[in-house]
Amino acid sequence: MHRFIPVVSIAAFAFLLGTASGAKPNKKAQPPAATPTPRAVVGKKTATRESPPLNAELPSPWRTWSDPAGHKVEAEFCSLHETIVTVRTRQGQTLQMLLPRLVPADSAFALDYAQRLRARSFADEYVKTAAYQIDFLIGSTLVAKGEKFNAPVNEEQFLRRIYLDAVGRIPTAEEAGAYLADRAPNKRAKLIDRLLYSPGYTMRMYNWLGDMLRVKDLFGKGVPTFTFQDWLKDQLQADRTWDALVRAMLTAEGKVCDNGATGFLLYDAQMPLDGVSNLLTTFLGANLACAQCHNHPLAPWTQRDFYQVAAFFGASNGIDETTLRGGKQLLQGKGLNKLQLVRIANANGYRMADTDVQSLTFPKDYKYSDVKASSPVTPTLIAWSKADSTNPAYRVNTSKPAELRDEFAKWMTHPDNPRFAANIANRVWKKVFGLAVQEPVSDLDDPAKASNPALLAHLATVIKAGRFDLREFQRVLFNSQTYQRAAGLSPDLEKGPYLFPGPLVRRMTAEQVWDSLMVLSVGPEVDHMVLRRGDDEKLMSLGTDGMTAENMKAVIDRMSGGKQSVAGARKGGVKDSVLLGEYQGGTPPQRFGMILARASELPQPAPETHFLRLFGQSDRLISDTSTTDGSVPQLLMRMYGGAGKLISDGTCAAVTVAGQANSAGAKVDSLYLSLLARKPLAEERAESTKALSGGLTLSDVAWALANTREFLFIQ
Amino acid sequence: MSHDHLRDPMERRTFVERCARYAFGLTVLPAFAPGLSAAEKPREASVPRRAGFGKAKRVIFIELEGGLSHIDSFDPKTGDVKGPSNPIATTADFQVTDYLTATAKIADKIAVIRSMTAKIGLHQSAQYLMRTGYEKRGTIVHPMLGAWAQHHLGKSHATLPSTVCVNRPADSGNGYFPAAFSPLPILDPDQGLPNTTSGLAEDVERKRIGLLEKLDRTFSNGDANVKAYADFYDSTMTLMKSRDLKAFDLSAEPAELRDRYGRSKLGQGCLLARRLVENGVRFVEIRHGSWDMHKDIADGMETRGGDFDRAFAALIGDLDARGLLDSTLVAVTTEFGRTPTFESSGRGHHPPVFSTVLAGGGVKRGYVHGKSDAKGHEPDDKPMTVGAFHATIAWAAGLPTEQEIRTPSGRPMSIGNKGKPALEMFA
Repeated sequence: MHRFIPVVSIAAFAFLLGTASGAKPNKKAQPPAATPTPRAVVGKKTATRESPPLNAELPSPWRTWSDPAGHKVEAEFCSLHETIVTVRTRQGQTLQMLLPRLVPADSAFALDYAQRLRARSFADEYVKTAAYQIDFLIGSTLVAKGEKFNAPVNEEQFLRRIYLDAVGRIPTAEEAGAYLADRAPNKRAKLIDRLLYSPGYTMRMYNWLGDMLRVKDLFGKGVPTFTFQDWLKDQLQADRTWDALVRAMLTAEGKVCDNGATGFLLYDAQMPLDGVSNLLTTFLGANLACAQCHNHPLAPWTQRDFYQVAAFFGASNGIDETTLRGGKQLLQGKGLNKLQLVRIANANGYRMADTDVQSLTFPKDYKYSDVKASSPVTPTLIAWSKADSTNPAYRVNTSKPAELRDEFAKWMTHPDNPRFAANIANRVWKKVFGLAVQEPVSDLDDPAKASNPALLAHLATVIKAGRFDLREFQRVLFNSQTYQRAAGLSPDLEKGPYLFPGPLVRRMTAEQVWDSLMVLSVGPEVDHMVLRRGDDEKLMSLGTDGMTAENMKAVIDRMSGGKQSVAGARKGGVKDSVLLGEYQGGTPPQRFGMILARASELPQPAPETHFLRLFGQSDRLISDTSTTDGSVPQLLMRMYGGAGKLISDGTCAAVTVAGQANSAGAKVDSLYLSLLARKPLAEERAESTKALSGGLTLSDVAWALANTREFLFIQ
Repeated sequence: MSHDHLRDPMERRTFVERCARYAFGLTVLPAFAPGLSAAEKPREASVPRRAGFGKAKRVIFIELEGGLSHIDSFDPKTGDVKGPSNPIATTADFQVTDYLTATAKIADKIAVIRSMTAKIGLHQSAQYLMRTGYEKRGTIVHPMLGAWAQHHLGKSHATLPSTVCVNRPADSGNGYFPAAFSPLPILDPDQGLPNTTSGLAEDVERKRIGLLEKLDRTFSNGDANVKAYADFYDSTMTLMKSRDLKAFDLSAEPAELRDRYGRSKLGQGCLLARRLVENGVRFVEIRHGSWDMHKDIADGMETRGGDFDRAFAALIGDLDARGLLDSTLVAVTTEFGRTPTFESSGRGHHPPVFSTVLAGGGVKRGYVHGKSDAKGHEPDDKPMTVGAFHATIAWAAGLPTEQEIRTPSGRPMSIGNKGKPALEMFA
């Protein structure tokens, strides 16, 4: 295990940082006698630092929870984010409960356990060291090229950036005002911690993963996969680490309506080979896509490599033909709603199952001489170098076909897998900095091609040290001085790699724009409006029953007896009738035909003409395809569509807040804080107050600010 | 080479100045009016005009997303690879399958290419290749043909966009050209261009825009994407005030004609495309999804195939009746073909050979270009790469396919990645 990181020469580092403000790495820092070359730095792995106390003994997380009304449930504690307690039952069901509604002993247990878990995360000291190392590795390459870090980012830009990056929306006027007024020297670190462990984080990460994992309401011709969405959110909310999450997706069994984790593999149930190609790209940055059909023209992968690794999925299949056929036969009968019937048949017919036979063979038209066409394939892992095969990750047992998937998942998510850690580190880096250390993220086959190979290696080490906890990994990135620098302009990558003198100026993602409008319009409670849409789908399960008309009717009755819904979703709120006041958040308002909830709670993907799609939300047909391009219809939507009206129609929460201020200038100041997280310049305040006295309303000023380019960009 | 000089110098003025003009009610700017500015005048093509060169003043580019089965559409086969359909005679001397009964009646107006060939069997990459003529790379985004046309020929109309894409997002169609060359996306043809009025009193609206322009002024950090957004503001404002907006409004078309195209998104998209090119848009791209028929191909060809057959035949007939077909090139494209052998009830991906269609714009009528082998596995005559296909369209559109340009970072590029136009396709 690589649970150490190379120690940074703090002195050398402080020199590189130049006039950097913010927390100084070390008061005793002295300029080094000579600037170290990057090579010297990379090779310097002599000393090690104690890893965080990852293996600290923890008491059992299991407990019988009760509320003052006497309801009880046995479940293990998973996480506490603000006042939301997440627990998981023996059946794997995740529940969210409100801390104040638990009996005192339970809330004390939750608080104590959460503290113990946090103590197992990175120590603050470790975060600093790991972040310094990032700054150092970047500083070294900048120095080598005669370039410099950008100036430190100002508080206003940092504030807006960290909100958008960590929780996916801009801060409210109140949140912005509180931060800017805070005089604590460590206020940035404090804010980072608070945001990472708040409900908005789940929403932001979910949107990010949605593009990567192709989260979609209906797969193919109508397979409902709301259960996958709820499952994914539950894992994020319950602090499931990345390796565990990926392992769960790759080894999931059962029907999609019963087990949401199957959703990932079932996306490609009709095309399992494409599925393998996709998961290799998504989780390892292994570029075998071309090798699916022929030896890769540019990379060393052969078609044989591809088939051999695909054979790990050769004993698994995702489609239960009997159930689907049964559903088709029922279609001939009368009295059943066709759409419902197809949905239910699909929800039961799409399932992951394993057999005792690995049945993948080389293709009939295989055109190379290394193996025979149509011959059976022996499952074999891919390796990037000869040394890989001696690596502990490669100790897999291929003798039992029914367990091939599990063995593959073990290898893929093993800390020693040559690419798993680097791949997710590279992708998260891109999320945070606007560009990956190695582009494109879909091809990590040659890490020497990274813009900064030592940095990529360091990031992989950090992510492993944190046991693939993406919150903690991002805590390191956000605390780096590199992140806390002025944003750089979009680089021309053909002229050379971007060396990260700071993060990039980015247009917000579609979800960030939408979610920012939501917080302006509804207020910060929008982070608590959760629409679980998978519960209705769970009612579709036939269990072990067959596809008969009777069973089908029973399912349909069960479903129509279900709860009233907002656009197919269960209403939010605290349910008094149920155990422990299970928490489901508030109920989102609706206006101009739009549900005012965060993007993560809306249809996946949003309909084609929805604001989110116009702003570049991916259609979820192919991974990593969201865009941040501008277009004329996009601006029209912002200015004159429902999105523009949300800000200007007089019900906007931010405008209401601003209206409470006691002077025109103060009202304008409040709007600037709400929309741009800064105070207006004198001329801006003057123009705005002039407009207010010249026939425009506060809503119009908000509208104008929401339509500026500054609103759309993350600096 | 910088692309800036190709753009209207007006575009480089500040947002404030631009908005001010609209605020004062000027609808058409002098620089956009009939005489184009010098910078925008079409360049003299350096290539001598030969058969067909430049006959297509407009292009409609249909993308069947997922992979059209050549054997079940334009390249019928017999024997064990034959699909659920039968070949039928057409008004030309080639056959199509009976999924294309309407197309069979206008076959004398189109040219089928049966020898398309490629190497990529992955949707995203194959789509990219067909849209841009280049293979997907990690470090560069290539432009689609509409953006190439705007680069070489300038804007096609004073206020309307030169390129529109229907039923699909723009997906960086401008490539390495300025963002202003990006196609304007219409996601729903029935809706046309939504949100074009504020509903406010004119003076309030003018004040609001005035305030917006002032408050936007402080934001300028030199970033290319931020600048690109200024261009979009500009185009938006221009379009909003223009009477040409009606080009996007399908409700102006007779119901009977709308029915003839079919009420599918492809049908209405094709009708919108005709309206747009008629009004001055040069290049219209239309996407039609769900052609990835791994299963139930008979079902798929009846439903999606039916939508296509009706829409395509109506479009060709309509353009011809209006005398526009000779100056409008219609291309039917897809990602790849589908395997001659069946996998359950459908067919897999098959890039080695597939079919596309070119119609109008100077292309021979009732013509078949190239052929596939007896089983539809490989090209048997005149194999045509996607690059050559692009070059052929570019030739018809009067674009210099041999001319190399430099990307902003100095990489040499040409339309169709050095593919050669198939000149024998032109009358």
